[in-house]
Amino acid sequence: MLKLNDVTKRFGGLIAVNRVSLEIKRGEFVGIVGPNGSGKTTLFNVISGVYYPDGGKVLFEDRDISFFPPYKRAPLGIGRTFQIPRPFGSATVRENVAVGAMFGTMRDKVGVDESMVIADEVIERVGLQEHRNKPAGTLTPVEKKLTEIARALAMKPKLLLMDEAMAGMHPNDIDQMVSLVKTLAKEQNIAVVAMVEHIMRAVVGMAEKVIVLHQGAKIVDAPTQKALRDPKVIEVYLGHPLER
Amino acid sequence: MKESKITKYYPLIPVCATYLALFIIGESVPGMWQLVAMLAFYCAIGQAFNIFLGMTGYVDFGYVAFMGVGAYGMALSVERLHMVEGIGMGVVFLGLLLAVVLATLLSLAVGAVALRLRGAYFAIATIGVNEGFRYLIEGAKLWGGSEGIVFYGQLAKALGSETASQVSTFWADVFVFLIAFMAACITIVYMRSKIGYALTALREDEDAAKVMGINVTKYKIIAFITSASVAGLIGAAGWALKLTNVFPPQVFEIHYTVECIIIVLLGGAGTLLGPPVGALVYGLAKYWLSVIIPGFQLFIFAPIILVVIVVFPEGIMGLVKKRWRGTGLGKFIE
Repeated sequence: MLKLNDVTKRFGGLIAVNRVSLEIKRGEFVGIVGPNGSGKTTLFNVISGVYYPDGGKVLFEDRDISFFPPYKRAPLGIGRTFQIPRPFGSATVRENVAVGAMFGTMRDKVGVDESMVIADEVIERVGLQEHRNKPAGTLTPVEKKLTEIARALAMKPKLLLMDEAMAGMHPNDIDQMVSLVKTLAKEQNIAVVAMVEHIMRAVVGMAEKVIVLHQGAKIVDAPTQKALRDPKVIEVYLGHPLER
Repeated sequence: MKESKITKYYPLIPVCATYLALFIIGESVPGMWQLVAMLAFYCAIGQAFNIFLGMTGYVDFGYVAFMGVGAYGMALSVERLHMVEGIGMGVVFLGLLLAVVLATLLSLAVGAVALRLRGAYFAIATIGVNEGFRYLIEGAKLWGGSEGIVFYGQLAKALGSETASQVSTFWADVFVFLIAFMAACITIVYMRSKIGYALTALREDEDAAKVMGINVTKYKIIAFITSASVAGLIGAAGWALKLTNVFPPQVFEIHYTVECIIIVLLGGAGTLLGPPVGALVYGLAKYWLSVIIPGFQLFIFAPIILVVIVVFPEGIMGLVKKRWRGTGLGKFIE
């Protein structure tokens, strides 16, 4: 469904993403792992259209979308959450989620009223019904994250990009959210790409496949258990083994 | 939880009632018409400016230029077309139309450049628009140059002198009332449609809005042009038609933009009832202050604005809306 061919993104002399190729299939759950500065966020931004690639191509359902602005990618089915939740603060949770429905893949089929109905359904699924009519800015961080996930799900995406979705959360909350996202994605056949910096727990819990980035390049692309045992991954995270 | 078609538009009731009450007071109490007309003018500019400032969060310091070109639209229409056989009131309606056209064209030109900028940069870029336009008209001797256009004679020729004075002393103000009400209707229609949700989203977080599939430029331009064309109408009716003359330094005066900003912020940016409330509070306070300590009204308004921004940045109606959310009265407030 999503294919990157030799994607490169430079900032001046710094090569943030270096000839990365990868493929995400429908309904797949993929973790993108890598230490700070390895190019994960840049890669996400290239996929969602915040940056355009300097080289290579981004293909979505065999269509070259490399230079589509973000607002044209969302209706194709690319949804995303942010590292630090960015809900529309003054709007209520319900309105936030409805915006997702209004401008996502259903944009031509639903009006404002239908979007509210979709929003209510999604809110129920993520368990925010009590907060439905609160302004999103007044929520706790975990609730904000859930609101963002709900907003992205209301877009009815085919691909959901989760940017460091679990950072700064209590392990119990992480477990809950991981299983929630996994169930919802499986139900609707949504491919999820979750970016993780530190919390391997989240990766092990949900990803079927792990892609490891290091200094902008892809070094490993394998099923989760295999990837995490790969010597290259251990080296990236823990450094070289001691010479005897 | 689906709202019915009609209850969605309930917030128009208090707005409509406010305008109606103002109109009745002005009509029935002798000597009140001028004050009421001034308040209606403030309501109208507040309501029009709110469509852009309130809904997008962008501050346009050159806003008065749209009112200015609107005033010129009316003046030009009367000046050039008054001799057309049997045109009568048509000259006024053509003037309103020309005002909308000119304001729309200017807003397209300004928007195409300035709306690429964000936040404070947008505000700075628009500061020069009204001054620039004023000097263009004066310097290029366009549309009468610095001498302006005085068209009472032409208006009297087209309408007859009795109707002409009726139009400038009474109907011009009625038009302002109607424009204010129309702006309120546009506001609520926008709020209840995808346009309103898109604008809320981009006001809160433009980058997140883009990623959610919102073409932010498109919606900003929609709000900008709508707001500008209503401003054009206000300039045409509230200035040109009422005074039957137009002078560049008088219509391209940044002071009016500042008044718009004060009214919208005081009443509550992005709310429907905010602009009329802000306009009434501001208009009455200004009137009262100019009676008790003439000349000091602006001096006193600066601290008031500071207090508003620090203590209740949502404005009067923003506060009320928050308090009344979920109560029975809540559905009348927006």
